Amino acid sequence: MELFKGVWGGQQQTTTNGRSVQDQQTGAETVERLVERLLNSTLLTDRRDACRALKALSKKYRVEVGAQGMDAILTSLESDRIDSELVAYALECLLNVTSPELLEDEDSSLSSMGEQFTEIIAKKPDNLTMLLSFMEEYDFRIRLPVIRLVTNLLTNKPKDVQEILLVSPMGISKIMDLLSDSREVVRNDAILLLVALTKNNANIQKIIAFENGFDRILQIIQEEGYSDGGPVVEDSLQLFLNLLRSNTSNQTFFREGSYIKKIVPFFMLPDSDADLGWPTQKVSNFYHMLQIVRTLTSPSNPSHITLSCQKVIKVCGILECLCQIVMANGIPSETLAEAIATVGEAIRGCLENQEYFGSVVAPSEPPRPVLVILLMGLINERQPLSLRCSVLYCIQCHFYKNEKSQEDVIKSLLPSSGDVVNTLTAGQLLCGGLFSKDISNNWFSSVALSHTIMGNMKQKENLLKVQFSLKANSGPVTLMNYILLSLQQGTKLQMKTAFLQFLSIWLEGCPNAVAQFLGNPTSVPYLITLITSVESDEKEALVRGLASFVMGICLFFNPNTVTAFTKESMIQLINNRIGMETLSDALGQISKSELYIHSLKHPQLGAKHSSDLIFDHYFCIMFKKYESLILQQLNDPGSTHVHVDSSSQDFSKLGHMVNNHQSPTDVISRYKEVIRTQDEAIETLKKEVHSLKSSNSVSNATIEELTSEVLQLKNQLVLANAQRATTELSSEKHSQAHIAEYQTILQRKDQQLHEMGERLRGLESGIQTKNPIQEELISKLEEENKVLVEEVERMKKDQEELLELLAEQDSRILKFKMQLKSVGVQVEDDDDTGEAANVVERNESVDLASNVFNGGEHSDNENYLL
Amino acid sequence: MSYAYLFKYIIIGDTGVGKSCLLLQFTDKRFQPVHDLTIGVEFGARMITIDGKQIKLQIWDTAGQEAFRSITRSYYRGAAGALLVYDITRRDTFNHLTTWLEDARQHSNSNMVIMLIGNKSDLESRREVKKEEGEVFAREHGLIFMETSAKTAANVEEAFINTAKEIYEKIQEGVFDINNEANGIKIGPQHSPTSPSSPSGGPGSSPGSGCC
Repeated sequence: MELFKGVWGGQQQTTTNGRSVQDQQTGAETVERLVERLLNSTLLTDRRDACRALKALSKKYRVEVGAQGMDAILTSLESDRIDSELVAYALECLLNVTSPELLEDEDSSLSSMGEQFTEIIAKKPDNLTMLLSFMEEYDFRIRLPVIRLVTNLLTNKPKDVQEILLVSPMGISKIMDLLSDSREVVRNDAILLLVALTKNNANIQKIIAFENGFDRILQIIQEEGYSDGGPVVEDSLQLFLNLLRSNTSNQTFFREGSYIKKIVPFFMLPDSDADLGWPTQKVSNFYHMLQIVRTLTSPSNPSHITLSCQKVIKVCGILECLCQIVMANGIPSETLAEAIATVGEAIRGCLENQEYFGSVVAPSEPPRPVLVILLMGLINERQPLSLRCSVLYCIQCHFYKNEKSQEDVIKSLLPSSGDVVNTLTAGQLLCGGLFSKDISNNWFSSVALSHTIMGNMKQKENLLKVQFSLKANSGPVTLMNYILLSLQQGTKLQMKTAFLQFLSIWLEGCPNAVAQFLGNPTSVPYLITLITSVESDEKEALVRGLASFVMGICLFFNPNTVTAFTKESMIQLINNRIGMETLSDALGQISKSELYIHSLKHPQLGAKHSSDLIFDHYFCIMFKKYESLILQQLNDPGSTHVHVDSSSQDFSKLGHMVNNHQSPTDVISRYKEVIRTQDEAIETLKKEVHSLKSSNSVSNATIEELTSEVLQLKNQLVLANAQRATTELSSEKHSQAHIAEYQTILQRKDQQLHEMGERLRGLESGIQTKNPIQEELISKLEEENKVLVEEVERMKKDQEELLELLAEQDSRILKFKMQLKSVGVQVEDDDDTGEAANVVERNESVDLASNVFNGGEHSDNENYLL
Repeated sequence: MSYAYLFKYIIIGDTGVGKSCLLLQFTDKRFQPVHDLTIGVEFGARMITIDGKQIKLQIWDTAGQEAFRSITRSYYRGAAGALLVYDITRRDTFNHLTTWLEDARQHSNSNMVIMLIGNKSDLESRREVKKEEGEVFAREHGLIFMETSAKTAANVEEAFINTAKEIYEKIQEGVFDINNEANGIKIGPQHSPTSPSSPSGGPGSSPGSGCC
């Protein structure tokens, strides 16, 4: 072996696995031998031993065992299934090979190994059927690894494996049966398997519901002690949520099967918890329990399903429990925030529940309605931001389509009510927040207040009558004028965004409010100043946009009663002082803003920092509705004589005024126009979506191709490495041939990769011009490309080194031969005469070589030694 | 609402024979002439009374299309009753019954009660399968038989209730192991699992007895 060492000694290099080449070679050899033994041994004990050894190697030599042994292991699982010991070894071996995570000391380049080996297994559905049959085996050593193995497979290739399991006869039922295993470890791992199995697959979710899945999970959660239980409860709840999330059929089943009643104990917390504090596991368990309620009442569900769930939640007492939790002491703030948001969704749009919530009185001193307690938390800057966001969400849900409580709040601000002297009301709290010096308080209270008038014309009118006396000696000021004053005096951008949003919601659809606003002589000039100002950062741009929006709303709902600012004169003013371009540009700033897009998508505020508090979800919805209508009105002055737009009324569903001056044909033509523009917009969007889709699929295909190419190359490299190790020892000629073969393969791959790269580049440049959304894709592709180029380079290097070595070896052999000849030894020219001859020859060469190399460092000394 | 027993049903048969309409007529007492194709499996439930006992029927309406066959097979094992439906105006749906029956027998528990239903009996003028043929098929294979119309609601109640009666009788005879939930039968929350045949157990009348 000295020769071998001598040649390789200086070249010790690390492979992708972080192990030395030599190490890997011996590993690959051993694996190959073992695989051979597993396949060809006639004695079961030998096969079993081979399997045991493979299992032992499967962690350290995962790639080798997977690449060379996979088929053999699967075959022997099938043929030797009666031998439970062998089966257990084989399963554990596959378990290691398919691990979705990197095993210890593994290089990150192997991260997709598990996935690739999973693909090999899943290619034959029969393999999974066989694994399912092993689940019926009661033997612990078989059942446990097979559960874990299938979990691995599901984690690596969820879609493919789910589809196979779904159609294998009784597949899902067999997995469900595992839940009744009396051994806790098995049951717990079965839960994890089910979690992976049910992810995003409605058909499987339904079968599990049919197989009494909810009962089983509930029973486990109960046995484990509800939220006080360990991680098993969390896993069970995860499964629970998988079954319910966006699966209306299962939600119906859950409701019809009176399961909602069965989750009441989830929310009954013993009083003793207050002083003990909550362990992290309990916080997490309880969070998932709340998610169940939120899944059932999510605003994104069909409304009739949500409504019927909300009713049941109220009837069986969950809403009451949740309100108790909101008012209880010692609840961790993150749990509290989630509970408050849950209460919100449990009452949203369900008048009965909203009324109940409005009537809940907190056990404070003096007793106050829970709404007031929540508002006190909302406008308290010392409360955690996440909690305040949840409170705002809950309050929005409370006022959503709830005219009665909207009225109650506004009424408390009007002078007529006499008994408000010593009780703190919601309205007073909100106005207090508006006047507060803290910006976050301004923001939260103006958004909350806007929800008390949202879509409610009567309250918008009533709010016009609200007056304050700011100082003892000055006269009363209307809320409208106060807000305008604060806007003009204020310097804080966040407050401006809040107040401008509030104004636009107030003015929307309410001509009297517009009249009062325009009646203030400072209003329009102030808006113009804001719109024409030069912005320096994003937030200023948003203020400009919001000011433009308020301007647009004033134009849109202009009652033509303020002589200075009739619709016509306003359009003139905009043309002369602002310019159509500037105004539409300013509006565009909002719809382009990340914050706007985020708020539009998510009803619940997810602010990480108080400076993120800019847009309210419902404002964004309103903005989206009016943006195009405002622009349309500005661009089409011919129709500007039309009083308040009937089309907008139609869309706002406010059932407000219908214009008298308009002939029906006018109305119809307006409708038609609106419909036409919308049609056009839809058409262009469709086209855009189509083109994006097609370019996306092209890019995806390329990515796939490249990945498979890389995979092939990787596998070939692995194989080459492994085979090189063995072939090198047997015959130089062979290796030469192999190397030449590899060289051509590599050249071909190289060329292919080059082509791929070219295509990629072409694609990139094509995509670059198309859309910014694809930038992400491009960067992905670039990365992919870089990895590929690196791969090729590395291979080239390997190749070069290999060739160098070979050349070196060749020349050396020649030299040796000559030397030998010169010494007079008979040298056989044919290498293939037999193993014995080879051995002899090698031994001789070794002697010589050691003579040669004993002299010192090999390559440098070689010349003069000759 | 509490119940003495819960029975799980499945509805099977070729696509378009009216399985979903039968379920809708039974649970909602309405008929929908244009019904979307069932994807996978849909769910419905209703309470009925047999022998003075409240019985909850949990019904799983399966997709008849061949493409869903492998999915719907998963529902056979856990069902106590099956409605096997054909369309009296389409001979082919009657001819396929043997395949359906084989499939059901192979994957279900042996005690599952199967009710053969010839649906669309209101369309007498377009009838292709005689009532007698259905009767013969049912007799040969040991099924109960009925012709129904999901449109006019004729015999729909009876079809579901008679199946339930059959299951109930089997329980009384002790054929079903009611403690094994895989049979598609569950005992209501207020009813002791040890005395299923005791006639005293009306709904809610046995407080404090063990809960399962």
